[in-house]
Amino acid sequence: MNCLRVDQVYLYLEEELSPSEKSEVEEHLASCPKCQDAVEERRLLLQASESLPLWEAPPDFTSQVMARIFPARVSIWKWISVTAAGFVLTAFAFFVYVIFSGQSLVGSFSSIGLRTLDIFRSAFIILLKAIKLIGLLIRVIIQIAEILFQFLARLTTMINPEAQIVLIIITVILSTTLLFGVKRKYLTGDKA
Amino acid sequence: MDEDKELIRQTLEGVEEAFAMIVKKYQRPLLNYIGRMVGEREMALDFTQEVFVKTYSSLHTYKPQYKFRTWLFKIASNFVIDYWRKRKLDTFSFDQPHAWDQDKPSFQIPDKESSIVLKYELNQIREKIETALGKIPPSLRELFIWRHINDLSYDEMAEIKDMPVGTIKNRVFQAKEMIRHLLEEKS
Repeated sequence: MNCLRVDQVYLYLEEELSPSEKSEVEEHLASCPKCQDAVEERRLLLQASESLPLWEAPPDFTSQVMARIFPARVSIWKWISVTAAGFVLTAFAFFVYVIFSGQSLVGSFSSIGLRTLDIFRSAFIILLKAIKLIGLLIRVIIQIAEILFQFLARLTTMINPEAQIVLIIITVILSTTLLFGVKRKYLTGDKA
Repeated sequence: MDEDKELIRQTLEGVEEAFAMIVKKYQRPLLNYIGRMVGEREMALDFTQEVFVKTYSSLHTYKPQYKFRTWLFKIASNFVIDYWRKRKLDTFSFDQPHAWDQDKPSFQIPDKESSIVLKYELNQIREKIETALGKIPPSLRELFIWRHINDLSYDEMAEIKDMPVGTIKNRVFQAKEMIRHLLEEKS
């Protein structure tokens, strides 16, 4: 038998050879110091590779994975107890109100009901007004934009491009100055 | 392995504890594989969690004729490959044929080999292997880890990578020889 190849050495060390191949290899090894050295070299490499320190997961790793897969479920008893606690708390607050307001039980019920109704009615009216105002604002903005667009469109047909650039620069400067002037007058209180 | 299949059956029936047992059983092998592929502990822990989440969500597609361990490592391997591709950390594919797949002549033992047996003790070799692992191509590193850290058989590895057993063996030998040469270089 010729000298071993590297793959044969590894297969021999990993016991992946058939019995006949193994005995052939062992026969050759008995008489070949070069192959014996090669086997010892790789035996040590394999021994070290198979005993590398292992990475350990933290103790709560499994529960972390399970929490990601199965998000926390609240049991039915927890729901019942929370609802009961809420009910008891509301009842307690109501009786405190009855005692301190000096009203009768029925009177307290009706006054709380009326106040709640008032709050809902006011909130509803504010909401409607806000929607109306927002709609109006949007319409005004659209109209201003349309006028501006038409003005610019006409400007491009009437004046040559160089004059347009000069006009735009003057407008920007004037607007900025005006804006700063307004800011100075009303925000900083400078009357000069 | 039948134990795995029983745990999967129970998980699919809604027994959460059964999947917790799968996680407990495979967290260490997966962490050691992913950890040595990405090199950072926190990232490895996060990726290992992701792999378990993916495994759970695709558990209904698992076919019992395959080994669960093989299927799980396939999911993990795809996850790691995706990570490498997204980060563009490796320029060549994990699964395409490599030049060394047919590189038989380099498998000859040279007449004069420098020895690591005489130079280092076992502990030193372990440390140097860890460093060398980061320097070999990821496609070879992956197979080396599976074989020598995760203790997978060549058949299992071939099934995961969907490659002939011979190719897998060649690549593992190449990985080991590369590591050995890196150990020699440092002497």
